[in-house]
Amino acid sequence: MAIMKNLLFRGKWVAITAATILLALLLAVLSPVFLSVSNIQGVLIQASVTGIMAMGMTFIILTSGIDISVGAILYFTAALFAKLVEISTPIPLAFGAAILCASLLGTLNGFLVVTFSMSPLITTLATYTMYRGMAIHLTSAQNIPVPRAFGFLGNGKIYGIPVPILLFALIFFIGLYLLGKTRFGIYVMALGNSVEAARESNLPVKKITMGAYFLGGITTSISALILLARVGGLQSGMGIGIEFTVIAAVVLGGTKLSGGSGTIIGSAVGAIFLVLIDNGLNLIQASPYIYDIVKGTVLLTAVIVDKVSIERQKKQLHLQKALRIQGVGLEV
Amino acid sequence: MKKVVATILVVMLFVAVMGGCSKKETKKTIGISVDQLFESRVGVIDAAKAELDKNGYSYIEVVADGDPQTQNAQIQSLINQKVDAILVCAVDQNTIETALLAAKKAKIPVVAYDRDLPESEAIDSFVGPDSIADGVEAGTYMAEQLKDENGKVVVLELLGALNDQNGIDRSKGFNEAMAALAHVEIVAMPTDWDSAKALSATQNAFQANPDIKAIFAATDTQIPSIETVLTDLGKMNKVGEEGHVIVCGINGSNDGYEATANGIADGIVVMDLKTTGETAAQHAIALIKGEEIEEKVVIPGIFYTTENIEANKDTIWGAK
Repeated sequence: MAIMKNLLFRGKWVAITAATILLALLLAVLSPVFLSVSNIQGVLIQASVTGIMAMGMTFIILTSGIDISVGAILYFTAALFAKLVEISTPIPLAFGAAILCASLLGTLNGFLVVTFSMSPLITTLATYTMYRGMAIHLTSAQNIPVPRAFGFLGNGKIYGIPVPILLFALIFFIGLYLLGKTRFGIYVMALGNSVEAARESNLPVKKITMGAYFLGGITTSISALILLARVGGLQSGMGIGIEFTVIAAVVLGGTKLSGGSGTIIGSAVGAIFLVLIDNGLNLIQASPYIYDIVKGTVLLTAVIVDKVSIERQKKQLHLQKALRIQGVGLEV
Repeated sequence: MKKVVATILVVMLFVAVMGGCSKKETKKTIGISVDQLFESRVGVIDAAKAELDKNGYSYIEVVADGDPQTQNAQIQSLINQKVDAILVCAVDQNTIETALLAAKKAKIPVVAYDRDLPESEAIDSFVGPDSIADGVEAGTYMAEQLKDENGKVVVLELLGALNDQNGIDRSKGFNEAMAALAHVEIVAMPTDWDSAKALSATQNAFQANPDIKAIFAATDTQIPSIETVLTDLGKMNKVGEEGHVIVCGINGSNDGYEATANGIADGIVVMDLKTTGETAAQHAIALIKGEEIEEKVVIPGIFYTTENIEANKDTIWGAK
């Protein structure tokens, strides 16, 4: 049974990885530059912003929660940082303030959800409006440039590898460790499987939930700063709609929206997959009018494939159970 | 639970009483419906509000956050509040029409600003940019720079939002002007006015066409993103330097101003937000007074290059 579970578990990210490889092969055929080092590097840089956020979002969704305010947290963090730098706050201080603030906003979401047992969707929809409003108020919807020197975060390289990719990798490994090797990770999974059971087992439900949303906040702040550095300044449209890309990456990666099942690697690959679609459409110089059709169709196909495979696995499980009950099956 | 209900009722009563009080004022009120708050839009409404203040009018400002349904409801609410005129920048020209027709029925004059509503039967006037002319302006400059290039020349066009009339018109004007050059191929990529998308699109475009000679950005707020990509690729050569990639944009934000002043961009078309806002407010006032006004006033932008932008800093709305 344990092996079976393990296979199922792994199967979740295998699907999206296979889809990503297929898409990559298709693009390699369609465009000669797709497999160039610089293009791959470009794809990974582009995936880093949503990918890092997806790492945090995975923990939230695993607890059977969701945070649609991350786009607003991203905008608020970027706004706070840009504003602080504008009034000549030292960059490290502004940096710390932005990360701290985003972590608090994320944690607040978790606190509200768990304390008042509110629907995470509605709660974070409310805080989305609130956080965005706070940022608009802070900046009067103005664009604020950031110093070019800060661009290192978006443009810089360490040993030839772009900083955003390094950060993506670093946070990916931290995510893997947290989910796979710590008690917190086990508790997150347990919570997603059944809140009641988690409460009855005296798990610190409140702390775990807030911890997951805290991770959502902190990863969002890192993405916000990378994006700010790359875009060169704060713009009022920042982060609008990014929550959907992030949630799509996580769900495509095989994490169940109902919680309790999913992987970090799936979410990371999911984020890359979504970037590949845009990259491919750009490379083959597709008409600007078909982008959304292609993206929507690919997403839909991925979700259908995922659903079908889940159903099939469920059926197999049922079959095995039935066989076992009849004393025909062997213990796997 | 009872306490909560009681509190809500008290708050509602309070709001109603306060609302009732403010109605007693005799000052004429103008409803300003804003699609979304961002820098250039704020520039226009600030100018309109200043003009209304100057003329002794009060105003109620509502912001739809890019949601057509919200904007519909907000306009309905402005009608219920019996405003004397409405200034509107529509999120979506089709979904807004029913609300605007309701305003017309209530005999409230409507002025569309910034975003034209060509199909609307409810608006009395439109005041906004001449986006086609702005696109032509940028395109003409770029065509002039590229006319002596030999062989096929690839130009990247970063589009605005595909459903935004201003974005569509800027592109139309730009393409019209560039059509003069037979050897130019324009590669257009959508950005939804989003700099992050512009960044990825530019990055990807250079992968497919490493020898892109020029970039046109529908909004100059995307020029810093272009700069990031050019820096990544080692192609960040300023105006006049060997291997410079021509960059033009439309808007007049601080991003565009700085980039042009520093020689990163060749030039930008600067919109006249102040005149737009003021004229829209004047139209609303005139309509309340029952005066005749022009049905459509378009205000073209002015193209500034690296050479003359510094001298004209005072006329650029975004320059800080």
